[in-house]
This record gives sequence, C-alpha cells and structure tokens, in this order.
Amino acid sequence: MNSRLLKLSIIPFFAIALAGCDGDDGAQGPAGATGPQGEQGVQGEQGPQGEQGEQGPAGGVGTLATYTVKVINLTYSQPFSPAAVMMHEPGFQPFVDGEAASLGLEVLAEGGNPDDLIAEAMASSYYLDAVRGEGTPQRSEGTETTLIVPTLDTDNLRLSLVTMLVDTNDAFTGLNAADISNMEVGDYRMFTAPSWDSGTEANTETAATIPGPAAQAAGGGGAAAGFDAARDDVFDRVHFHPGVVTNANATDPSLEGLSDSVLSEGDRWDNPTARIVVQRTR
Amino acid sequence: MKLSTLASAILLSTATASVAAQTIEVSITNLTKAMHFTPRLVVAHDATVDTFEVGTEASTALAWMAEAGVIEDEQNADSAGQNFEALLGPEDTDNGTNTWHRFGGLVEPSSTLSYPFDTMDYEYLSIVTMLVPTNDAFAGLDSIEIPTEPGTYTYYLNAYDAGTELNDELNSARTDIVEEGGAALGGYGLPGMAGVGASPVPVGMGATGVAVTVGFDQDGNALAAPNEVVDGTDGPVHIHRNVLGDTDDTAGASDLNSRVHRWLNPVARVTITVPAA
Repeated sequence: MNSRLLKLSIIPFFAIALAGCDGDDGAQGPAGATGPQGEQGVQGEQGPQGEQGEQGPAGGVGTLATYTVKVINLTYSQPFSPAAVMMHEPGFQPFVDGEAASLGLEVLAEGGNPDDLIAEAMASSYYLDAVRGEGTPQRSEGTETTLIVPTLDTDNLRLSLVTMLVDTNDAFTGLNAADISNMEVGDYRMFTAPSWDSGTEANTETAATIPGPAAQAAGGGGAAAGFDAARDDVFDRVHFHPGVVTNANATDPSLEGLSDSVLSEGDRWDNPTARIVVQRTR
Repeated sequence: MKLSTLASAILLSTATASVAAQTIEVSITNLTKAMHFTPRLVVAHDATVDTFEVGTEASTALAWMAEAGVIEDEQNADSAGQNFEALLGPEDTDNGTNTWHRFGGLVEPSSTLSYPFDTMDYEYLSIVTMLVPTNDAFAGLDSIEIPTEPGTYTYYLNAYDAGTELNDELNSARTDIVEEGGAALGGYGLPGMAGVGASPVPVGMGATGVAVTVGFDQDGNALAAPNEVVDGTDGPVHIHRNVLGDTDDTAGASDLNSRVHRWLNPVARVTITVPAA
C-alpha cells in the first residue's frame, strides 16, 4: 500500500518537469561522473515465521525384514527333529521330488541333524538366511524361529523348512521353497505339509536304524542309529512317504504287522503331518 | 457434523448388510470307504469363535461331538451345559458371535448331502462331524472365510483326533468288558466307539484293544479286574493317525476291520455355493 502511494506522487512531478522545457535546446552536455555508492541501508526486521510444511511421505520399514516361523506337529506320536529353516530367493530347493537327496538332506532325514542341509543352503547363491530350529514334540506347537532378510528381497522370497520324523528310518516333513513373497508387516501365512521319504535308507523300522525314542526304548536309537552313508532304499529318489508298517497285528492271524519293527500302532500318522505358520513382524 | 457422520455410517452399514446377507448352499461329500458322518454342526461365526484348533485341547463340546456325535440337548440330555448348544447359544438364532444349525442324519460313504444355510452375515464358517465307528475321530472345516462373490467354492477336510479318548477300537455294544470302575462302555453316555448306536458298518466283538489293552493300564501294568478298560486322553487335537483294525471279527487287537474301516486324508469335500444376487 505504501509503495503504491509513492508511485502516484511521482507521476505529477514528472509532468511538471516536462512542462518547464520550452526554450531552445542546447547541445547535450557530457554525462557526469558516476557518483559514489550510497551507504548500505539498515537491516529490516525479521519477518514472521512461515507455516509448517506438509508431512513427508511415510518412511520405509528399514532395510531389513524380520519373519517368525513356527512349526505345529500334527502327528500323534512322531517327535520332529531340530529343523532347517531357510529363506532364499527362487532357485534353491532343499530337495526335488523324484531325484536323489542331497547329502545334507540325507543326514537330516536319517539322523535328524539339520546342520549339513543349512550349510548347503548357505553355499547357494540364492541364500538369504537360515536358522537351526528346535525340535517339536508330537502334537504340539513348536518354538518360533526368527529370520532376517533384506527388505529388497521380500518381493520374491521363498521359505524352505525340513524336519525329520524321528521315529522313522528317513521320513521328513516341511516346505520346499514355498512362496512367501510380498508379505506386509503383520501378515501371516499358513501352510500344511505332507511327509516325504528321502529314499536314502530302507524302511526296516529296526532299533539299529531309527534315531528316535521308539528305538531307544528297544535298546537302539541315538546317533549311531541315525545317518548311514549307504543308500539302500529301493530307489534313491525323494518320494512321498508310504507310512510306517509297525509291529501292530504282527502276530495275529492277519499278519499285517512287521514283527521286527520297533514301532507301535501309535507311531503311525496320516498327512498332513505339520502346519507351518510364517509371520512378518518387521 | 457429528450427527451427519453417524447417519452416513448407519447408511453404509445397512448397505453392506443387504449385500452380504446370504443363504449359501453347503454340500458335504463323504470321501471315505466305510466311515459314516454323524449329524453335522455347521456354524457361521466371527473371529471370537473357534470350534477346534490343532495343538489346542478340545472343549467339552468338541468331546461330546467327536466321541458321541452329540451337538445339542435334544440329542442327549446328559450333554446339557457341556455341548455346542451350551457353547454357542440356541440353534438357528443370531447369537451375537455366531449362528448354527445341526444337519441331521448320517452321511454315508461316497455320498453327498446339500443344505441351504443362512450365514446371517458372519464372516467365517466351520463344520465338524464325527466319523463312526471310531473313538473320537472327526472331520473338520476350521474357520474358512465365507466367500461373498457368486460361485462354487471347494474345500477338502482332514480327519482329526479330538484327543479326548484313547483309540481302543473296542465295540461299545460289548458287555463282556466295562470301563474302569465298572460302568458300561460308551464314553459320554452313548455307545462310545459307534457313537450313534449300532454301527451302520458291521463291527467285530472280542478284540483286546489297540491304544490300550483290556485288563491293563496305559503303561502295561495289569489291572485288578481283567475285564476293565482304562480310558484316558491323548490330546491336544491333532491329525488322526487312522484306525488300525485287523482281519478278525472275534479276536485280535481291534473290533474294526483293517480292510474296510481305514481312510486317508482328505475324508470329506465341502462345496459352498454363493447364489447370484
């Protein structure tokens, strides 16, 4: 408003000056020397504080994503061994149906030790993270394991999990590169799993070849009855497990049982043998 | 301002209700060779209701259903206060958290029954039905989200063990043996293994027991009375390991027949049809 008033007052002044130039025009004189620079003016007062800016976009969830994985043992009487819990990009598989088991899978499926299979996963270029989970007793919920992968990999992520049914020769259950891509924080996914036979050991059901408590009760079991490098199953291929025969009905007229089996009818199962719950927590 | 917000919220919820309110067709197929399904409990419910959960101990209501096929008082007065009717509320009623119906009769092996069912807008559907003759096996559909788009949806059901009774596989019609303490066989007041009385499939007599042996406790120690059967629990709820059976109808471990009564999962197929609006 102030500056507008000033402009208005200048206009009449110019009009008067023009009106006073009526005489002969003399030759225009040379331009005068430039005058000295004026003094710097005083600093103005500080203006009022500006309004607060808009809130920026929500920050990302960080560079690492965290998942918990839990196994629920659905069998009546088959304890599960410590599990190999592995997260990876597509490309790695702990086993392929119809093909020979890796050494790591054989060690796990015959003796219940997941360390070699985890080492195989870690050696893969698709590997992201792996944890040795605790064993899960029959018909119970297991302990959660926690895995951490780069957030960048969450859009194409796979979960593999292998755990042995320890009152068997070489049965295992789990997940074979299950797709868990694009889970948001808080999401969970649930899988049910059948049981496989690693195809690396004959299903003799004897105390000398089964590591679990059923064989221990019969004087065998333990590490000595676990992994055996010899591959003496009918076909050296991973396949669906046919179930255990057990010694039930071994001496009655049906002769349906296997008389030298250390397993009892309670050690039988039907699929699915496991439920696996994965949740993204961060 | 507040009032108008409220008003529009009410309007919205009414609109949603009119879309979701639906009577669906529930069809159940028995996929087993020789197991019958007892009357089916079909329940539509919210997230607070859980008829069963693997890895969790069975409710008394589930025990009644899985051991005796009983869902409500009308079937067996002794179950009053303990059955699903007590747990869920009156039948065919909006109970606030659920609505349920008992579909009567047996579903025979390799057969299908279909029913209309009003879900009363509840989000989830569960179904449980006992397999007879067994001790406490049941087929279960655990809280699936009820589809709202018109179409036909298929689900496969596994057989679970309620874990509330040992799988002795002894014919509950037998009088030569008794429960520990002298009571007649039958668990929850009904012919036990057969569940709904005489088994529709012939069951043997004279077996010595599978998960537990007549005249012995669970650890194999002889009982004072050689004709008594110890009952026990084997929970929590888990996938049923299947019946054992044998081939002798008058002896052996089991009164079931191994060539007739066994099954493998899945044991049932459920299809839900959501009609076009």
